Amino acid sequence: MFQLSAVTTALLLLAFYGFTFLMTLSIREKKENVDGFMVSNGAVGFGISAASMTATWVWAASLYAAASSGYTYGVSGPIHYGLWGALMILCIYPFGRHFRRVAPKAHTLAEVMHARHGRSSQLILAVSNIVGSVISLTANFTAAGALVEILTPLSFLHGVLIAAVGVLCYTLWSGFRASVLTDFAQLVAMMVAAALIVPMVFFATGGIGALDQGVATLTTEQANFFSGEAFLEQGGPYLAAVLAYAIGNQTIAQRLFAVRQDRIKSTFITATLGYAGTVIGLGMLGLLAVMVGLQPLNGDMNNIIPQMASEYLSPVMVGLLFIMVIGSLSSTADSDLAALSSLVMTDIYGKNLARGKVNPRTMLHIGRITMVAATALGVMFAVSNFNILDLLVFVGALWGALVFPVIASFYWDRITNRAFTASVLVALVFFLVARFELLPLTGVVALVMEIAAAIGAAVVFGFMAFGLFGKRVGFSVGAVAGVALLPLILGFLRDYPTLLGSLVSYGVSTVVCVAISMAAQERFDFSVIDQRVTEFQMREAGTPPEPVEAAR
Amino acid sequence: MSTLVLAAYILVWPALTAVVLAVMCSAVVKDYRAAKKDNRSVV
Repeated sequence: MFQLSAVTTALLLLAFYGFTFLMTLSIREKKENVDGFMVSNGAVGFGISAASMTATWVWAASLYAAASSGYTYGVSGPIHYGLWGALMILCIYPFGRHFRRVAPKAHTLAEVMHARHGRSSQLILAVSNIVGSVISLTANFTAAGALVEILTPLSFLHGVLIAAVGVLCYTLWSGFRASVLTDFAQLVAMMVAAALIVPMVFFATGGIGALDQGVATLTTEQANFFSGEAFLEQGGPYLAAVLAYAIGNQTIAQRLFAVRQDRIKSTFITATLGYAGTVIGLGMLGLLAVMVGLQPLNGDMNNIIPQMASEYLSPVMVGLLFIMVIGSLSSTADSDLAALSSLVMTDIYGKNLARGKVNPRTMLHIGRITMVAATALGVMFAVSNFNILDLLVFVGALWGALVFPVIASFYWDRITNRAFTASVLVALVFFLVARFELLPLTGVVALVMEIAAAIGAAVVFGFMAFGLFGKRVGFSVGAVAGVALLPLILGFLRDYPTLLGSLVSYGVSTVVCVAISMAAQERFDFSVIDQRVTEFQMREAGTPPEPVEAAR
Repeated sequence: MSTLVLAAYILVWPALTAVVLAVMCSAVVKDYRAAKKDNRSVV
């Protein structure tokens, strides 16, 4: 397979990280404001925000996984990865606008949960966010090592260390502000490469003339755009995770709190389209690979994109692909570092250790130390061959269990701290039983799990409709989805423990949360959240956090 | 799925990517101009 030379690789990486670092010098302030370090000025424009959201959500794993899905499931494969991933961005924005109205000066969702419920709810959400970001950081460092190992003479360790040091260097001083600013340049590299590479490979493999021959090599399921196998094994579990990943990811929450309030909708719709185009497009390389009969090197699906590029593109385009993947993993890794620092600064130090008496200077030091520690941890996990993505199963379930309690806490004044905490813990237990079949999925156990899964599916569809079209439509869609899906799920879903576990997590947490909340008589006054969630550091006179247009 | 439809299905995504990139670049230029006009940082 074609490889870039060591000198070319070094020059490309030096140019990429050098340019990125120089960009951040343009916004560097001698004394960074702690709120700016976490969410900028709360009034970032549409273009920068949309580019940042897209670049953050497109990570190296999404490029590889979309191609892998195209290779495995054929025509519908890229859709079953990229479309649902894009929906994660789309479906969270209506809730994001409400979150922002309730707590305009928040830094993290967990911080709002602290104001709404108290410490246990806050820490459950914050810890799940932290673990998720460490997993993402590790996965991106691992992807850097794998890319460098396959496309250059350098080793896996070289790739991991170069990416880790490069990302840390440009993110450390200005935090989230540096991450958002550099995301745009990284996104341009990514999207230009994606827009060029897919058609170039398509025509290099024979173009339209070769499609008939290619389709003949596909199995019946692979050639079927409405493949049931692709939906149940790839699309379904991912669709179920749409809201969970959006709630569980501080990188999204940070951008919701950073963008100009009147630009949230346009930002997230544009990012949805940008993500879909880039990821589904690169997923088509997997479809083309299976049609030309490519065998993944060492049986590793992650090699499909580099192999296709190496086989069908010129050395210059292979260099562009290299920068595309480095850009995608760096933009997500810097967002993870910014997310981790804001979680530790706000939820560990600000709300727990300092108990509201925050020293901005100390807080900033804690944020930067967190970035260094997280980078070291990510490198350690990446080089130790510890399969950290296995942890994503548990974290994904925790995020699923959090969806109803977190979102409902912003709308319904009866949810209590006890209901929030108990519902998440009970849902996790049910998830473990369903996902790992700790009890045989037969008889009454299977029936209970499938009923919970039907409720979970109703919650997923109901929430999506509720966010986009309001309460009445949301409840109607949820009820219709639950009734329509119950007969389809009963006796069937027990054979698909991955999808069953995800939906059970949603369903059980909803039932428990509602039951405990209804039993209590507490009512919450939402207006106090704005008083409890404030800036940690007053801004200099003359730099208001919101422009006049946004306040209208 | 006919050959032409399949070809369009494969190529529509990079086209969408290019369009969205153009929209974002235009918006980023506006963000920079607005920031310069107000004498503030873009982020």
